[in-house]
Amino acid sequence: MASFIDVKNLTKRYGDYFALNDVSVEVAEGEFLALLGPSGCGKTTLLRSIAGFIGSIGGEISIDGRPMRNLPPNRRPVNTVFQNYALFPHMTVVENVAYGPRRNGEGRRAAVEHAERSLSTVGMLEFKARYPAQLSGGQQQRVALARAIANRPKVLLLDEPLGALDLKLRKQMQIELKALQQSLGMTFVFVTHDQEEALVMADRIAVMEAGRIVQIGTGEEIYHKPATRYVADFIGDANLIAARVTAEGTLETEGKGLSLPVRHNASPETKVTYLIRPEAISVSPAARAASDDVIDLKAVTTDIVFVGNATRVYVEARGEKLVCQFPSSERAADFERGQTVHVSWHRDNGQVLAR
Amino acid sequence: MRIRNFWAAILIALPLAFMAAFFLVPFLVTVTASLQTADGAWTLANYKKIVADSYYPGIFYTTFKLSLISTIVSFLIGYPIAYYIVNMVESRSARRVCYVLVIMPLFTSNIVRSFGWLILLGRQGLVNQAMVAMGIIDRPVPILFTETAIVIGLAYILVPFMVLTISSVLQTIDRSLVEASLDLGSSRLATFLHITLPLSLPGVIAGSLIVFTLAVSAYVVPAIMSGGRVVVMAMPIFDNYATLFDFNFGAALAVGLLIVTLILIALYLLFIERRGRSQIARQS
Repeated sequence: MASFIDVKNLTKRYGDYFALNDVSVEVAEGEFLALLGPSGCGKTTLLRSIAGFIGSIGGEISIDGRPMRNLPPNRRPVNTVFQNYALFPHMTVVENVAYGPRRNGEGRRAAVEHAERSLSTVGMLEFKARYPAQLSGGQQQRVALARAIANRPKVLLLDEPLGALDLKLRKQMQIELKALQQSLGMTFVFVTHDQEEALVMADRIAVMEAGRIVQIGTGEEIYHKPATRYVADFIGDANLIAARVTAEGTLETEGKGLSLPVRHNASPETKVTYLIRPEAISVSPAARAASDDVIDLKAVTTDIVFVGNATRVYVEARGEKLVCQFPSSERAADFERGQTVHVSWHRDNGQVLAR
Repeated sequence: MRIRNFWAAILIALPLAFMAAFFLVPFLVTVTASLQTADGAWTLANYKKIVADSYYPGIFYTTFKLSLISTIVSFLIGYPIAYYIVNMVESRSARRVCYVLVIMPLFTSNIVRSFGWLILLGRQGLVNQAMVAMGIIDRPVPILFTETAIVIGLAYILVPFMVLTISSVLQTIDRSLVEASLDLGSSRLATFLHITLPLSLPGVIAGSLIVFTLAVSAYVVPAIMSGGRVVVMAMPIFDNYATLFDFNFGAALAVGLLIVTLILIALYLLFIERRGRSQIARQS
């Protein structure tokens, strides 16, 4: 992978607090990278340091082979879509979008033509004479996007641009943004705290925690092979069971000492977390045919929740609370609260994570 | 929670009553007096006297010229200060200290302040001595008792009003707009000219109106700084009331000053409005 954006050992501290702690990441040309994490994890700081807004920072950033050190924001080949859009209130839509080309030395007419092309890309051309205050949130978002791509930057940085939109519009914009990114062939770095958004749009996801990148990979990799308990918890729903490795190397739960046959390489006498995804657990009224590969537990249902496309069954088995999920198209009405059932999963679906 | 109509009426009535008693009534008394002779007969003679020869129009001209220059000087000094306090001073307490420093000149009496300037600006004063010492001028130049002295004295007390009004507007400008401008490839200077300055114009307009009206009605500063050698409108008004006891003509001068000031302000606002609209028209 030829890296287009190369971030090396980036560190930013405020007193004793590390906003970024030795962060290194490489982004390929035309890639869509999502920086995912809760607020305060450093994802926005990382984005802003690529844009050039963060001073006195340790480490190196280069874009397309050019080191960015000491380069002010206006001389970097990146543009940003800001979280609050930051549209200029005293300018019309077309002036906002033409601002970049104009400041970069284009004549008034060329800049306006440029802006109009950008606006039609995002379907906002008919609103060009309006002022930002006369637009809805979704329309402002599109204008902010048009303004940011009007300069044809090599890299587009997006700081939670969909955060202020309602769910339906957000989902629609996710698909549109992804399509736009592919048609422009631009490199996108996208900050979000919404794991679903990251999964829908990004080629790769960098999960951040306390100023560090804890895992980077495709959505599938991060969902199926989370590096830590934190990542497993952050991406998707997860049953996380506190467990320990015995002296013999087998795994048992900390609660009632339920032994879990699983392949792992954790060292004996350590505390670990056992992960099993809700959709990997099947619930049935009767026990499954016993085998070495299947874990089967007797359980009591505590709650059954219908969430539309899926049904979640909460059970308690040997002192462990588990959640199981199956598509709503499968026998939803079979279970009721307080029923004794069997939960089972293939042992290869379970994983052992560092605590 | 909505305030009940009764209490709302009382809340509005109190300041209204105050304004009526201490502004409206004296104002109407003045207007009435300006339209009467000393005997109480109705007449326009007082106003005719103002425009009879070039003496009073000349004073009007001097007054508005000096007020305009003082306003511009206050803007040129006040804007950078306001910008500095809002955008460059990071800590809150330091910003507070800056504001206190800015309004410090207003803490001392007008008269004391002006006499202070007399000492500084005199022929043997600090300013002249410093300029001679630095070789800027060969020998002391007359500053005191000139129009320049009045402008210096006025700008000195009016800058705080400019700083406070402009900084209150500058504070409301979202910093992400400046970042967005830089991000789009704009230099710092272009960002200031295209984003910060236009967005702070309401503060500049409000500040210049306050400063201009205060400058027009100033009496003590022009009187002391010019030593009576430059006459502004407040002086004949004061003289007519206090020394000549010609209340009717004094009132006519005061009303005349008010009317001309209002006309100038109206023209100023109209000009700004027109410019704003033509800009919008041009861009769409």
